[in-house]
Amino acid sequence: MNQSNEIIKELQGISPMLAQVQKVNVFEAPDGYFNTLAEKVITRILLEEKDSFNFNKKEIQQVPEGYFDSLSDAILSKIKKEEAENKEEDFQKSFPVLHSLKDKNVFTVPENYFEGVSHQVINKIKSHQPAKVILMNTKWWKYAAAAIIIGVIAIGSLQLFNNSRDRDQIPSYVESSFQYKTPEQVDEGIASLSDDEIIKYLEKYGSIMDNDLLIKDVDVKELPATEDYLIDENTLNNYLEKIDNQSNK
Amino acid sequence: MNLPQNDQELLESFKNPATKEQAFTGIIKKYQEKLYWHIRRMVIDHEDANDVLQNMFIKVWKGLENFREDSQLYTWLYRIATNESLTFLTQQKKRSTFSLSDDENGLSNKLKSDTHFDANKLEWKLQLGIQSLPEKQRLVFNLRYYDEMPYGEMSKILETSEGALKASYHHAAKKIEEFILNH
Repeated sequence: MNQSNEIIKELQGISPMLAQVQKVNVFEAPDGYFNTLAEKVITRILLEEKDSFNFNKKEIQQVPEGYFDSLSDAILSKIKKEEAENKEEDFQKSFPVLHSLKDKNVFTVPENYFEGVSHQVINKIKSHQPAKVILMNTKWWKYAAAAIIIGVIAIGSLQLFNNSRDRDQIPSYVESSFQYKTPEQVDEGIASLSDDEIIKYLEKYGSIMDNDLLIKDVDVKELPATEDYLIDENTLNNYLEKIDNQSNK
Repeated sequence: MNLPQNDQELLESFKNPATKEQAFTGIIKKYQEKLYWHIRRMVIDHEDANDVLQNMFIKVWKGLENFREDSQLYTWLYRIATNESLTFLTQQKKRSTFSLSDDENGLSNKLKSDTHFDANKLEWKLQLGIQSLPEKQRLVFNLRYYDEMPYGEMSKILETSEGALKASYHHAAKKIEEFILNH
């Protein structure tokens, strides 16, 4: 082993004794070691790459459960997404100005508006006046129905009285109506009628009912608006209770 | 087909899939001996040196595509060989179950177990003195004394300033001299 002058001079400056030591390689490499090293390294590299390839192949073979079931949906979804993106791109190319303005909002809302919206809506719902509706089983309805019944009975009675031949054949329900001579007695008599009896009667003589008669006393302005029924499911009940209370006064 | 000897040509050939293996064989053949002796002086045993050398070349194969050609291939290979040698020695120390004193470390024992070892010969005393050095000083001494590497190159490999390397070499030579005189 030769030593360059530069190294010898440097070492002489540090340690003259060490500079005099002959530089000898005490180590030995096996015979032919360097002749086969490159081949060995390349072989190892190729084997490792083959193992790596096989490992990747195994990974591909083990697909997640249900992968192929959802594959077509996933592909279609991707296609649709790409189509949508293409449309967006076309739009951008055709109308660059419009596209650039698309997401620009020129409108503003008061500060913290959206934080208070839900609260305002709930309060509005709570404070909303109940709507108006016609109640089928109120006393008002009973009076209207009773008035019709009495009218029918009265007409029937007059016809019967005018027909002297049938006088002896007056039905019992007509006879029973004679006892209602004062409004109080009529009230008591009507109160004694069951809902079932009234409904049966109306089903039979419903054509006599005049809608104008039913609604003439109803103040339409006080009826609940259509949307009130959508906002509050108790609108109908609230209104019926209200008119029920008014009729009791 | 003759192998190119120029580093630039070897690297270009490595990028071509058709000549990749051939180019890599060329790189191994060009640098194997220098790198082997560099590693061997660090790990002492041939089998260990062979393992480290082969493993480092496999890492070179994997990393060569990303090799930045603004640095020299020679410097890059030496850096990998140095790092792999130090990593090997660190792992070996962790595996060792023996408690060894500073001047009676495992590497000294490996030297003494060499079939050609002769404690009376100066060249073997020199080797024992080198093995008594801390790892960094040992690296610097080997690269300068045996590989005759310029400090500028060494600075790139060990990522240390030239001044610090010169100081390190000075301390290493002094310690070895002292070791030889005392043994």
